Amino acid sequence: MLSTPKTVYLKLIQAACNESLPEQILSSGWQLKASSSWIERREFYDTFEWQAFEKEVVIVKKKRTLFLADLNTGDEKASLPFHGSPCSFFSDTLPSCSLKTELSSLSDIRAFIKLCSIDAIITSYRILDDNEKTIAILTSESLYLAGRENPETFAHLFSLSPFKGYEDDMELIKKSLLCNDDNVCSIVDFRELFKLIMNAAGRNTQDYSSKIQLELDANAPVHDSARRLLQFTFSVMRANEEGIKKNIDSEFLHDYRVAIRRTRSILKQLKGVFDAEESTYYLNLFRDLGKRTNELRDRDVYLLRQATYFHYLPPFLQPSLKLFFNEMAVSRKRLHKQFCRYLASSQYQAFLEEWDAFATEQSIPHPELSPNASLSTRDMALNTINKAWKKVIRHGRQVSHETTDRELHALRIDCKKLRYLLEFFSSIFPQKSVAPVIRQLKELQENLGDFVDFSVQLHFLHERLTAITPGKEENLLAASMGGLMATLFQKQEKARRTFHKTFSTFDDKKTSQLFHDLLTSIIQ
Amino acid sequence: MKTIALYSIKGGVGKTAAAVNLSYLSSLLSPPTLICDLDPQGASSYYFRITASKKYNSDKFLKGNKKIYQHIKATDFENLDLLPSDFSYRNLDIELSEEKKPQKRLKKNMAELSEDYRFVFIDCPPNLTLLSESVFAASDVVMVPLIPTTLSIRTYIQLKDFFEANKLDSSKIRPFFTMVEKKKKLHCDIIDEYRNAPGFLSQTIPYNSEVEKMGIYRAPLNAVLPNSLASKAYRNLWDELREHLERSK
Repeated sequence: MLSTPKTVYLKLIQAACNESLPEQILSSGWQLKASSSWIERREFYDTFEWQAFEKEVVIVKKKRTLFLADLNTGDEKASLPFHGSPCSFFSDTLPSCSLKTELSSLSDIRAFIKLCSIDAIITSYRILDDNEKTIAILTSESLYLAGRENPETFAHLFSLSPFKGYEDDMELIKKSLLCNDDNVCSIVDFRELFKLIMNAAGRNTQDYSSKIQLELDANAPVHDSARRLLQFTFSVMRANEEGIKKNIDSEFLHDYRVAIRRTRSILKQLKGVFDAEESTYYLNLFRDLGKRTNELRDRDVYLLRQATYFHYLPPFLQPSLKLFFNEMAVSRKRLHKQFCRYLASSQYQAFLEEWDAFATEQSIPHPELSPNASLSTRDMALNTINKAWKKVIRHGRQVSHETTDRELHALRIDCKKLRYLLEFFSSIFPQKSVAPVIRQLKELQENLGDFVDFSVQLHFLHERLTAITPGKEENLLAASMGGLMATLFQKQEKARRTFHKTFSTFDDKKTSQLFHDLLTSIIQ
Repeated sequence: MKTIALYSIKGGVGKTAAAVNLSYLSSLLSPPTLICDLDPQGASSYYFRITASKKYNSDKFLKGNKKIYQHIKATDFENLDLLPSDFSYRNLDIELSEEKKPQKRLKKNMAELSEDYRFVFIDCPPNLTLLSESVFAASDVVMVPLIPTTLSIRTYIQLKDFFEANKLDSSKIRPFFTMVEKKKKLHCDIIDEYRNAPGFLSQTIPYNSEVEKMGIYRAPLNAVLPNSLASKAYRNLWDELREHLERSK
């Protein structure tokens, strides 16, 4: 295969911007011919979690086209005609094409949000050799943030795109651009360029992740570590509020709820670290806050499952299920409005302030009120993880042959507690030692999660079915719900049947050794 | 990928002009295209303002693959690349005769370009040698520009005889008339005579002083003066050729 010559990006040093005409920085030996000038608007998109950036790609809209480009080289990987300039869009709204496949593989539930818009004033020059043959295109770009009242250039760039077969000349041109008397240029790669644009727009790449990325000190009092964890979960909550209000995608509320559950888990599982009375007080507040979001999250989940549910039914039963999803969408709208009103309320503001003060409180409470606050983070981690793991094993072994709903529901919660503890303290263990333990646990959690999910869905659908009023549409809906419930029931039973096998894989020598190794790895 | 050779035993018949303009047209309509200048005089390369790098020679051309890739150059026109000629090509025949299967050598080298180009045009030197034979084997179509004169027609008959004598597929030969002057009775008579002859393309290229000026513009006529008579004729010729290629798929 023929290789395409790489474009080189050069950034002009700010002070030299006024004399940025390429004629002045390109030494003699080549001719420059200005071919055209134009203004180009570029709009950059990514998910809230920077999933494109993480996979080393950039999504940019320009010239009425959406492009997916390589983050390191800027090379275009896929494109699609794209009109308008939405604040956000989902990959599944795009027509079938390779770009859609690529974006869906980055995320099919998160929206791609407009990160920023810039205007580039571009002048393109041809570099000619002594035969007046074009050997490269040099484009000079001045970048501005779009839509600002007094736009100021935040960067001057040159991109040098050599023509095939002229790579040797290009080295000389590059040298000439870099080594002129004023030293005005430096080579930047496309990734740096992207970061430069993001920073100019006030965005920091990868500034959000719901994963706990704290580096805890194993020797620090657990009280300090717990407060840091609480501050982290609080920051996740706050970071997601805007997305919930703007109704961008369902993951904002999901992450917000996970942050609430983690907060509660910290308060509840790290016993004796905080004043018990205060802990209970906040636990109740967070429980109530979580409850406010339950129904809204349920609607999100059903709406996300729409395609799957249709898939469970024969085609002639599918249309009648639309009624159910319409209901879900309507009630979701109402619940969303209701929750947003709460987020804007003074009650919520007061709660935030109060909690912020608690989470950032530095001084260790009185030992009588919180006897474990001064324990080392290491000791607390060892203790709680060990206990939680033993509990999962004990309760799992107690699950009867019938594997009742109640037993599986309870075990699921035990597993979740253990998972949270492992995640909270993962930074004090040797690198990569927690991941294999979590992998073992994950399989069991998936089995239990499936079981409980099916059980909750069945219950929900059953309740809706009992409220059905006879009528043509409703009768058809009842039929499709019946079909759906039969499938969900089969799936639930399948999850129930596989429980003992899944649990025995978890409750084996290998997992036990992994836990043992993990816990002994930090004992000094 | 389709390989089209522009070939004539006789020089000065508008071979290079056809190769340059047809390759340009194909790069606009069915990109990407490569024009391969095999004539040591390097007229196609000159028209595109391209000179081969000092490291390039006939030896590298025969080696093929990476040695060729490194020396392909982009023209000033999008989707149109050129493999320039080098003066060392005058020895191609001798070097080719030392190869194991000289007739198949070019075909093999061209096949390696099939992932990168939809069309490859070969501008051949005006002679009938081992290299020509290798070109005939490598090409899907051998376009033969003919000035409507008796001598030109004679070279065409010689070519056909050569194909038959060497058991080559003579259905590849697609002659067409160039430098046609309607004022000349002989031109008109010959064109009339061969209008329905098998293999002949019906589009003719008129004699046009603008074609000669390509040496001054150093660009395809169709890019510089797309509305000139000759440009229109090349466009029609390309349509006719493309139709033929699609039919023969």
